[in-house]
Amino acid sequence: MSAPHIDTPTIPSAAPGIPLAKDALLALVRERIEVEPDPSDRWDLTVVVASGRLRDLMRFLRDDPRLRMDVLLDIAGVDYLAFPGHRDARFAVVYLLKSLAFNHRIKVKVRVEEEALEIPSIHDCWKIADWMERECWDQLGIVFKGHPNLKRLLNHHQFVGHPLRKDYPCQKRQKLTVNDPMVDQLQLRLRQLGYTVLSEGEIHAPAVRGGTPGEVVGTGDKGMQDPDLTTGTQVGDMKRSVL
Amino acid sequence: MTFKPVPAPVAAEVSLGDAFITTRVDAFINWGRRNSLWPFPFGTACCAIEFMGVVSSVFDLSRFGSELVRFSPRQADLLIVAGTVTYKQAPVLKRIYEQMPEPKWVISAGACATSGGFYDCYCTVPGIDEIIPVDIYIAGCPPRPEAFIEALVQLQAKIDGEAGKEQKVVGV
Amino acid sequence: MKVLTPKGEQLELLTVNMGPSHPATHGTLRVFCALDGETIVASMCEMGYLHRGFEKMVEQGTYTMVLPYTDRLNYCSAMMNNIGFCKAVEKMFAVTVPERCVVLRVILCELSRIIDHLVCVGANLVDLGALTNFWYFFNPREAVYKIWEKLCGARLTNTVTRIGGFYRDTYPGFEDDVRAVLVQIEGAIKDVRGLIEHNKIFLDRTRDVCVVSKEDAISWGWTGPCLRASGVDHDIRKQEPYYGYDTYAWDTVIGTKGDTYDRIMIRIFEMLESISITRQALDRLKPGPINTNDARLTLPDRNRVYHDMEALINSFKLIYEGVRPPPGECYDATEAANGELGFFIVSDGGTNPYRIKARPPCLTQFAAFGPMTEGTMIADAFGTLGSINIIAGELDR
Repeated sequence: MSAPHIDTPTIPSAAPGIPLAKDALLALVRERIEVEPDPSDRWDLTVVVASGRLRDLMRFLRDDPRLRMDVLLDIAGVDYLAFPGHRDARFAVVYLLKSLAFNHRIKVKVRVEEEALEIPSIHDCWKIADWMERECWDQLGIVFKGHPNLKRLLNHHQFVGHPLRKDYPCQKRQKLTVNDPMVDQLQLRLRQLGYTVLSEGEIHAPAVRGGTPGEVVGTGDKGMQDPDLTTGTQVGDMKRSVL
Repeated sequence: MTFKPVPAPVAAEVSLGDAFITTRVDAFINWGRRNSLWPFPFGTACCAIEFMGVVSSVFDLSRFGSELVRFSPRQADLLIVAGTVTYKQAPVLKRIYEQMPEPKWVISAGACATSGGFYDCYCTVPGIDEIIPVDIYIAGCPPRPEAFIEALVQLQAKIDGEAGKEQKVVGV
Repeated sequence: MKVLTPKGEQLELLTVNMGPSHPATHGTLRVFCALDGETIVASMCEMGYLHRGFEKMVEQGTYTMVLPYTDRLNYCSAMMNNIGFCKAVEKMFAVTVPERCVVLRVILCELSRIIDHLVCVGANLVDLGALTNFWYFFNPREAVYKIWEKLCGARLTNTVTRIGGFYRDTYPGFEDDVRAVLVQIEGAIKDVRGLIEHNKIFLDRTRDVCVVSKEDAISWGWTGPCLRASGVDHDIRKQEPYYGYDTYAWDTVIGTKGDTYDRIMIRIFEMLESISITRQALDRLKPGPINTNDARLTLPDRNRVYHDMEALINSFKLIYEGVRPPPGECYDATEAANGELGFFIVSDGGTNPYRIKARPPCLTQFAAFGPMTEGTMIADAFGTLGSINIIAGELDR
């Protein structure tokens, strides 16, 4: 009883491809763009590139028929402030790439100075780069120049600072009073899709809860319109007691 | 001055046979409340997965009258906070609690909801009792399903002792 | 919200906020969308409601103390995270774990993959209104948890592996328990397939819904079952085999269309493949050591600790300081239930990790959720959300 359009339930896969060796990969990249291998990666290949050549390198890695690094796996930012004996730039951004065709992997590293916290965005090369760059900015404060919507991804919109920096104390908590209404983001998306926003209407929250306090209509709960109730988290030891 | 003896009250009840039970109003209301708690699972993390196990057939929460999981706070009287609550989530939790009609009870399930657990860092609320009042805390990371059931039984005992006329006051 | 469409018509859009605490958004996801009738015109997603600082917390302790945190990344298949992290650290040390450990890890990985898929498909079908399947799937899942309990005491968050091996060996009768549970899972899969495969409601609500093309899936960085559903033949277990996955007889399952139907069916068929791998691995399970004998990773034998000064020091060092990988930057990935689970570890040669970046498989899938649901009905969008299997723990870390 096979599923209608998975033609056969299982399709034998191709034999594992043979990934290029580290040296061959490096030589191929060096043909086109000036890169240095990073000695701190003893296991696989990391190439260090100047931030000015990053976009060229990424496009080359993605499109070259011998490399075809078509998947951007992750963007990891590192803060070297407390790294023993580190002399280079304070930050680095590491792009993890892999090739589905050849099964080889490469890491691309860009060093970022604390004084000039800016590197070019690659959001137009891979769709996923958009969110990954947002996360990197949120956590480490590295600005991706040319990013269309560089907003926080993990932390809330009232958060100040960048928690994964080594000088951010682990337990420095920051409270949130009201959730992000996100109306501006939706309008941005509508504009990206070619719509023109003429007027902002009401926000409907069916069967819930959360989101946009003070803007909820249609829930039949007058209490929610009361500004005192919608100020969000009041902090303090609230114990239930019986009079 | 003549003295009239008061008739014994027992006789009236006896004459009604088995058709009536006399009790206090509080006891009757509490009996109803404790045996039909409708939980709202505010599940955020691992504990919510364990709560799914609690309501499924092996542990079967319906034996305790609480299988009717409601996803609207207006239809629930038991808020089960299962999982880590972050500062980003905190205003949402508070609003959900406010939207629940009285009487309402809160179970804080697991280490994270109770104290922040081992996530002692910039983004986690160190215990939901900073935001809303809590009736029962469950230990464990995540708590075993038996612990959920034990907490429910304890909550039922607590409800049994409540007096209907007394008002619950929050934040005193 | 009044808008002008690209064609110049005026349109009144209804803006709806779903989540973060909504049954359809599985806990902590928030979707904010503009609707034209029941059709989604534009949708923006927000995450981070379960961001609990995994990457900051792991920098505070030793490498061994990272293990419980990895459990809580994808809590539906905690053991795969443990194994993925241990494998990454073992790569830094360049040690190989003993044969019994490898085979045992394969068994635990595949069983974890099965229970992860059980939860995913079961919950997805509940989203589509089919509650019965959920009960069918949760019974064998409880049986697997019984095995986990016997193995290490915990049901959900196991922390069963250690860097260089395991916390302890299996209990007597482990093989029989696993074989029995596999039969039970096969029965459950048969029951569920019987209920859904020719069910018109199920087919109408999943087929040709939220189709993601091969090119889009790759550009979104998808991995795992969702990528395979879009027709890309890629599985790390096949393409970059580890733990001898290339020596087992099994097939990758690939879809043809990339719709919700494919994403659900892929998981069901993958469970059958995992059952087959587990059976083969059980046949290979021979008695032997489960921990590497590398003194940098494994505690020395207790008898030696009491009689040998060096062993005593080794034991102390390992317990108080933990392992010390050589300085450097290393990335290693395993095929977890959701896709490629990778750990990028920066070591400064000390006892605490300098930086760990987890590569969660479902971040890429949730990033795509907004754009891929534009143009579909809102009810179908939430059927799709179940099929891409978002686990908030690893999404938000």
